[in-house]
Amino acid sequence: MRKNGHVVSYLFILPAFLLVFVLLLIPMFQNIYYSFFEWDGLKKPVFIGLRNYTAFFSDENFLVSFRNTLIWVGFTLVFPVMGGLLIAIFVRGMVLERLFKSIFFIPLTISFVATGIIWTYMFSKELGVLNNLFHVFGINEKVSWLTNVPLNTFSLLIAWTWQQLGVNMVLFLMGLATLPQDPIEAAVIDGANKWQTFVHVTFPMLRPITTIVITMAMVNSFKAFDIIYVMTRGGPYRSSETLAVTMFRETFTLFRMGYGAAISVLLSIIVIAVSAIYIKRMARKELLYY
Amino acid sequence: MMRNPQKIPLYAIVIVLVLFWLLPVWTTFLVSFKSSEDFLNQKFYQLPTRVSFIENLKNALEKYNLHKHFFNSFLYATVGAGIAIITASMAGFSIIRLRPKFNFLLFLIIYSGTLFPFQMYLIPVYKFFNTIALYDTRIGMILIYAAICIPFSLFVYRGFYTTIPKEIEDAAKIDGCGPLKTFIYIFLPQSIPPTAVVALFQWTWIWNDLLFGMVLTRSQEVRPIMVALASMSGYAGGTIPLIMTGVIFTSVPTIVLFVFLRRFFISGMVLSISGE
Repeated sequence: MRKNGHVVSYLFILPAFLLVFVLLLIPMFQNIYYSFFEWDGLKKPVFIGLRNYTAFFSDENFLVSFRNTLIWVGFTLVFPVMGGLLIAIFVRGMVLERLFKSIFFIPLTISFVATGIIWTYMFSKELGVLNNLFHVFGINEKVSWLTNVPLNTFSLLIAWTWQQLGVNMVLFLMGLATLPQDPIEAAVIDGANKWQTFVHVTFPMLRPITTIVITMAMVNSFKAFDIIYVMTRGGPYRSSETLAVTMFRETFTLFRMGYGAAISVLLSIIVIAVSAIYIKRMARKELLYY
Repeated sequence: MMRNPQKIPLYAIVIVLVLFWLLPVWTTFLVSFKSSEDFLNQKFYQLPTRVSFIENLKNALEKYNLHKHFFNSFLYATVGAGIAIITASMAGFSIIRLRPKFNFLLFLIIYSGTLFPFQMYLIPVYKFFNTIALYDTRIGMILIYAAICIPFSLFVYRGFYTTIPKEIEDAAKIDGCGPLKTFIYIFLPQSIPPTAVVALFQWTWIWNDLLFGMVLTRSQEVRPIMVALASMSGYAGGTIPLIMTGVIFTSVPTIVLFVFLRRFFISGMVLSISGE
């Protein structure tokens, strides 16, 4: 009877396990394996050890892409994350709080592809909204937002900020709503001004949610693909690629499968390292519960 | 009305930002209402001389076959998320309530599917699908989308099932219910909140996916909507109204979902970040 019950309980898990095992876990290990080969996808793969990885250091395109990825992460921490926190603090208690929140929330309801297309139009040189808006204000220079290096990376990041800021704002607002009010009131009574109260009382108390938001934002910016692909295809001349886009181009445009696999392994290592704190926290909670 | 004059600069900052956030939304709608003549001859802020949205939509559908891709993605999102919901809720139930040996290990193995960037799976899955003739097929797309959705879904169901009191299940056992009956009659009826969260998040994710669609499909009959939308951006000036109409058309399902399930969106975000 007991034994029978065990079989049934495994049968319940089996379909989910099979799908994930066959389509995600085996491929993951295969991908690591491929990263040690030179392979164009057609001919027999040739084992080259770690040479795909050492090639990173002398590959100009890779280095540009890696630098851009770091710019993406840094920019994300400043604008969508810190900006999200500031806006969360600003809009709290404002007369039109609900309306303002909803407006920052709008971009979350559409896809990255849609965002990319909308901002391609915003940035378009002749017909675009931004250059024509400048014209209304008397600035007649036509800026090449998406073809001028390094401006193009920052133009992409403006679109990215437009889409991402709302998530962080919502998370920070949730964090702020659950803070106990006593320490804040105590600080005010002790004569702390708004800035001091924020830096010494509110912000430290927000730390759990800040850690999560920063981790998530960093991971998401390492993975960013759609917006870049739609707006510039990583160009011109591969100047606005990040690692996720470079991996795609090397693999599916240039058919350097082994090299592409190596880039994705590197990307995974970075992403796992960044989310390590978060995973550890979760694992501890799970084990406690277990 | 304003309690605090210090707040005026803050209001100014927020209002400027709000206007900046609205600018793309407003211009997208405005462009989608313009004919290509209006679009090319008018200033960007001028209202169209006649409303051409329906005409633009008709042209966009005809020229880019958006409705076919719309149907594809609707199918993938509904069936893919559906498979994830069924398999993940069963697995979650078993892991929490039937507790077979290695249940926690099995959970970790499945859950590890959310940790890696999707780039990690692209090459092997592409190759695998080519070998077993799933490349460029609807079944292939449904399977990969379901697989990607399962780990997070399992996480949500597993968390939720820990909150269902054990007494109810014990009572069911005494009444002679086996695991399958307990699952169907006791657990499933109570699973509406986690199912709403999972459905909202996973349906939206599949609908918005570009990467897997680009790598695993080639033909118009199979390609999902976002791939079709992304390839519309061949930017000859006159087609911009069509493209913007396409953006609106393809965003309708997710916007509708968010408007109606907004409550679950917040609780889903809490779930996905807090691990509780």
